[in-house]
Amino acid sequence: MPACPVSRRLLALTLASASLLGGCATFSPDGGFGAIQSETAARAGRDVVWSRDDATRAQTRARVEALLAHPLSADDAVQIALLNNPGLQARFNALGLAEADWVAARRLPNPGVSIGRLTRGSEVEWDRSLHLNLAWLLTMPLRAGIEARLFEQTRRALVLDVLRLAADTRKAWIAAVAAIQSEAYQRQAMDAAAAGAELAARMARAGNWSKLKEAREQAFHADAALAVARAGQSRLQARERLVRLLGLEHPDTLQLPERLPDLPAALPSLPDVEQRAMDSRIDLQMVRLQADALAKNLGLARRTRFINVLELGAISNASNEVPLQRGYEISFELPLFDWGQSRVVAAESRYRQMLERARQTAVDARSEVREACAIRQSQYAVARQLRDELVPLRQRISEENLYRYNGMLISVFELLADAREQIAAVNAAIAAQRDYWLADADLQMALAGSPGPAVLTPLSPASAASAAGAH
Amino acid sequence: MTSRRDFFKLGAAVAAAGVSPAAMAALPEIVSMDRADTRPPLLPPNGRPYNPVVTLNGWTLPWRMRNGVKEFHLVAEPVVREIAPGMKAHLWGYNGQSPGPTIEVVEGDRVRIYVTNRLPEHTTIHWHGQRLPNGMDGVGGLTQPQIRPGETYVYEFVARRPGTFMYHPHADEMTQMAMGMMGFWVTHPKGPHPLIDPVDRDFCLLLNAYDVDPGSATPSVNTMLDFNLWTFNSRAFPGIDSLNVRLNDRVRIRVGNLTMTNHPIHLHGMEFEVTGTDGGAVPKSARWPEVTTDIAVGQMRQIEFVADAEGDWAFHCHKSHHTMNAMGHAVPTMIGVNQDGLAEKIAKLIPDYMAMGERGMADMGRMEMPLPDNTLPMMTGRGPFGPVEMGGMFTVLKVRRDQRRGDYSDPGWYGQPPGTRAQLWPGAVADPVRASGDAPDTNTDIEVTVRKPAGHSGH
Repeated sequence: MPACPVSRRLLALTLASASLLGGCATFSPDGGFGAIQSETAARAGRDVVWSRDDATRAQTRARVEALLAHPLSADDAVQIALLNNPGLQARFNALGLAEADWVAARRLPNPGVSIGRLTRGSEVEWDRSLHLNLAWLLTMPLRAGIEARLFEQTRRALVLDVLRLAADTRKAWIAAVAAIQSEAYQRQAMDAAAAGAELAARMARAGNWSKLKEAREQAFHADAALAVARAGQSRLQARERLVRLLGLEHPDTLQLPERLPDLPAALPSLPDVEQRAMDSRIDLQMVRLQADALAKNLGLARRTRFINVLELGAISNASNEVPLQRGYEISFELPLFDWGQSRVVAAESRYRQMLERARQTAVDARSEVREACAIRQSQYAVARQLRDELVPLRQRISEENLYRYNGMLISVFELLADAREQIAAVNAAIAAQRDYWLADADLQMALAGSPGPAVLTPLSPASAASAAGAH
Repeated sequence: MTSRRDFFKLGAAVAAAGVSPAAMAALPEIVSMDRADTRPPLLPPNGRPYNPVVTLNGWTLPWRMRNGVKEFHLVAEPVVREIAPGMKAHLWGYNGQSPGPTIEVVEGDRVRIYVTNRLPEHTTIHWHGQRLPNGMDGVGGLTQPQIRPGETYVYEFVARRPGTFMYHPHADEMTQMAMGMMGFWVTHPKGPHPLIDPVDRDFCLLLNAYDVDPGSATPSVNTMLDFNLWTFNSRAFPGIDSLNVRLNDRVRIRVGNLTMTNHPIHLHGMEFEVTGTDGGAVPKSARWPEVTTDIAVGQMRQIEFVADAEGDWAFHCHKSHHTMNAMGHAVPTMIGVNQDGLAEKIAKLIPDYMAMGERGMADMGRMEMPLPDNTLPMMTGRGPFGPVEMGGMFTVLKVRRDQRRGDYSDPGWYGQPPGTRAQLWPGAVADPVRASGDAPDTNTDIEVTVRKPAGHSGH
């Protein structure tokens, strides 16, 4: 079989371009991780490390151990997770894979050499050929572009992963600390009930009380003990969830503070939070990148106008790269192409499809950030109301009740029941404080990407009136 | 203490209502009282002479004579009444106080009473026990239209029967009496009376009860039975003045009951006779000696005795709950319940908690712990030998050799002659000698029933 002759000119061109491309196709020293690090630092204020070798691994372990030496703050917990969460470290390798693909796409394939010997009677024919994968060479620029974009997407997705882990860790820390606080108060409520039950038993022994009344106090005690058991369970669950996120092999090393941080004195205002989300959400950036890639793939070259995806209407100002901002209008813009120049109807359809998907993402993002903002605001109001009004009111009620007890107007059992109600109010205030910090974490996350479904734990019903047994 | 200011206030109100200044001048001035202590008897400046009464923690309303008619002016109005030092109640009353001023007239007097309504709702006055024309009986809707806020009505009748009476509203009666609207009326005999002896001291008081939630000041008007303030003339011990008399004085005490329950009124040290009711004087043959007389709801009793025993003699309602101030009727008995080790636990949850009642309630009389605002301790008052542990309908009759005639001031505590007071026995007390028999068996039975619940429920 005769070897396919290759045009000298084409070969030279291909070789030249391949060598040109291949010349810069080396692995970056940080595997593209530097961008993730800087973006994480900018957004979460924490340091993220990819422990790829023993030296780094030892370093991070030392840092984690140093952080674990003290009761952990929320920021420290996030830092440990970013250093130590095995799932995250595993995902970082996606970056390596993506970069490998990208580098491979820009490298010349190894040329093949073949020698053939053919005999026909006495004739011997040596066939020597040097062959290159021509298709590879021809598509190399295209594939390099695609792989570059995929690499970029992977990097952004990883930043999102890091931020989501940070948010999850922060929330897990809040839940774990709140659970500790709540259990402590449940224990106090149980102490009140235990005192009541003991007093009831002594009163029954002295002949002053019926079995009915004694049993009622004992039932309060048993109920309170159950509540303590449940609170202990919740505390354990919350703690273990945090342990998993921190990637701790030895959970005993984890020390948590006894109290949640106080509410801020005033709710920090967030001006233009929706526009900020439009500018900073990573999922929107990824959509933009995809749209860009699609346009390139479809050969849509001439950008004629911008389209505000949220309104899905063209903005008259053409060819202006600076995003258009009119007053307080929220915008998320993508380029629109002049379909008149397009040859392919399918291309239009696919790009339109893309635009609608982008619109969906933008609408979701905007709604999510609005929701997170509103929930944070209302949780703040609820927590303030409980802390500044309800709890002090319950304290005043307890004080007045003590005066009534002093005047022999009510009994010690009413005092104890009241103590239980006061404890329930404090507990509700803790839950509200927790929910505020959770909402705050959700809002921070919503500025980077989807925060996931808002998890709002309803306040314990004892908060309002008298759920605890009133006499 | 009179206040002429109020008269002008009323004048303006009447003028605004379109009454001519001449008509305004026709009204007797309004006399108002701003103190809750016992005022000296009002010696009659005109009209037929009589021996005036002393209203315990109250006063007698001055009148003016006009063409031979005794004219009084009562103003129904919201008042602030001091129930005892440390507690003021927001009540309704007459002329600055609750109860209203005592009206004293003489048998045969023609009496004209102007009643001005400064309450937020209509009212009337019923002259309990009086012989009078039907249209003067003061039953709103039945014998007259109600007196609307801002209006002044005139009642006029001849005080025909001497004796002890009261006045109170008969319009939204339940509310208005629960708010303290009532007053005393005494019609003195115009001359020597076969059944009404002259006395040296003549006291009068109304029994009333309020339900003021501890920490508040206005009575709950819908309470029917569970009152927490039992008062003589809207005063509770230790806010009730003592009845101060001279040794061997003939003393009359007139008591009317406008509460929702009966009160067995009891005097220590001497016997008395009931010499009259709101129906009139009791025939001498029908009187018998007593130390306690029960006064039913809406009844009046006048008791008389010769104060021939010197000393400080308790005078009180014999229902022991009625000699207490506000208390919790649902508070369980703590007697015999050892709170050792438990009180500390409770105090951890409730700072300032103190175990009480373990030995009885007398701790209460001793301790001074913060109470709700405007609330009197359940048992209180101090005597020369310690806490008196009383409240409510309790006061003291003080009989003194050297109390001057006409002097109603408090002579202080009685100085008991040496050797006449119960004293501490310094010696040892031997164990009582018990008769043997089935007593121990009975005890065992009791022990069993007492232990049973504890055995089942101990933990």
